[in-house]
Amino acid sequence: MEIRDNLLYTKTHEWVLRKNGTAKIGITDHAQESLTDIVFVELPEKGREFKKGEVMATLESVKSVAEIYAPFSGKIVDVNEKLNDEPGLINSSPYDEGWIVEMSIDNEEELKDLLSAEEYAKIIE
Amino acid sequence: MKTALYELHRELGATFTNFMGYEMPLRYKSVQEEHLNVRHKVGLFDVSHMGNIFVRGKDAENFISKITVENASKIKEGMGQYTVLLNEDGNIIDDEVFLHIGSEYLFIPNSGMHEKIAAWMRKNVEGSVEIEDVSDEFSILAVQGPLSKETLQEILNFDLDTLKFFGCQELSKENFKIDFDGRCIISRTGYTGERGYEMYIHPAEAAVNVFKELLSRGEKYGIMPVGLAARDTLRLEKGFMLACNEFAGGRNPIEAGLEWLIDWEHDFIGKDALMEFKKKEEYEKITFLECVDAGIPRHGDEVFKDDNRVGIVTSGNFSPCLRKGIALAYVNTKYRGIDEELIIKGRKDMKAKVIKGPFVRKGEC
Repeated sequence: MEIRDNLLYTKTHEWVLRKNGTAKIGITDHAQESLTDIVFVELPEKGREFKKGEVMATLESVKSVAEIYAPFSGKIVDVNEKLNDEPGLINSSPYDEGWIVEMSIDNEEELKDLLSAEEYAKIIE
Repeated sequence: MKTALYELHRELGATFTNFMGYEMPLRYKSVQEEHLNVRHKVGLFDVSHMGNIFVRGKDAENFISKITVENASKIKEGMGQYTVLLNEDGNIIDDEVFLHIGSEYLFIPNSGMHEKIAAWMRKNVEGSVEIEDVSDEFSILAVQGPLSKETLQEILNFDLDTLKFFGCQELSKENFKIDFDGRCIISRTGYTGERGYEMYIHPAEAAVNVFKELLSRGEKYGIMPVGLAARDTLRLEKGFMLACNEFAGGRNPIEAGLEWLIDWEHDFIGKDALMEFKKKEEYEKITFLECVDAGIPRHGDEVFKDDNRVGIVTSGNFSPCLRKGIALAYVNTKYRGIDEELIIKGRKDMKAKVIKGPFVRKGEC
């Protein structure tokens, strides 16, 4: 199970990669593994705003449905359109090609609630 | 409960699920890969959660004709048959394959059903019939896929070309190219819609080596172990019933689209009730629904025509071959014409249309 040191995590198994004023978001290796083969994704539209904790995307796998929660409040600046045709990228490359959205960060303070790699590792033990 | 192959599944990296009280492999790697491997090459399944009941005695044939919708005199030695057992109301208790092996019959009830079936059989025994439930003593392996014959031939001297569709045969130790000490019955049957074989092995532990040898000798044919998740999508694409889904709550063979199994020329338990049911013009019948919208129908989703509820999904999943959602649903006979557009109310509303089954035909994947 891969956990990357350079990322921040949520208890609901999203990862966050900070860039300048924005962050990319995806789901962790652990999450994709327990969901099994993802076959449909519902992505938000660019420009939509979400409050921290709101459902912003939905993944459907052969076994179940998973909702992706906004790890912080912000506006969608980019979505990974490739996932519409190849949802399996989330399984094969959860941290790279399988990223889901990129969001602007409204309030830096909210990022303090996110987990470090070490803290996340303890949760999924 | 664990099957004799549990430790081997663990070593192979299986993720487990509890199905009807059995800890079974759900998948080893990817569900879709396993699914497609069975469609294109060959897959190996442990299906020891299914039951094994022997029926013997001079009145066995008449007895089977009474408790199933089949006329057992038509099933000659060396052949098997898919059939259903009904209760007095005509509802399906279980669907199963039975094999006519030598002077005995071997029934393969669904997982979790063997005790109930054995009790039902004993309750209805007439004449000289012996019922022996050996479910816990047998393992069952399934080898399925277009290369199943070539794969199995690697461990057997027995010429598999002699086994017809639904044929069965008792194998001796000499029929094996590998070390095997036990009893093995083989049938050309399966639950995937591909060419395939099932092996009923006693004692249960003797199946461990067979499984290992099939994986190693079948490597050149691309064999993969396959879990229950892919077993479910494989059978659904072919429109095969899953007893705990499609027969739950009481459904008869006419509703379940299994009327073709019934031999009306003989008497069997539930026949009177079915004759009465046949007079009905409107009822819910099993229907193949293919999603037009993206999404996966799930067990229990309701089916609507405009604002009216007209049916319910009993099995729904994603078809790895068609790359869309598919479902078996009981739909009111007025609303199940081919191409009828219906709405499946799942997590969201999904447009679906009625098709003539199966979802995936032979070679179409």
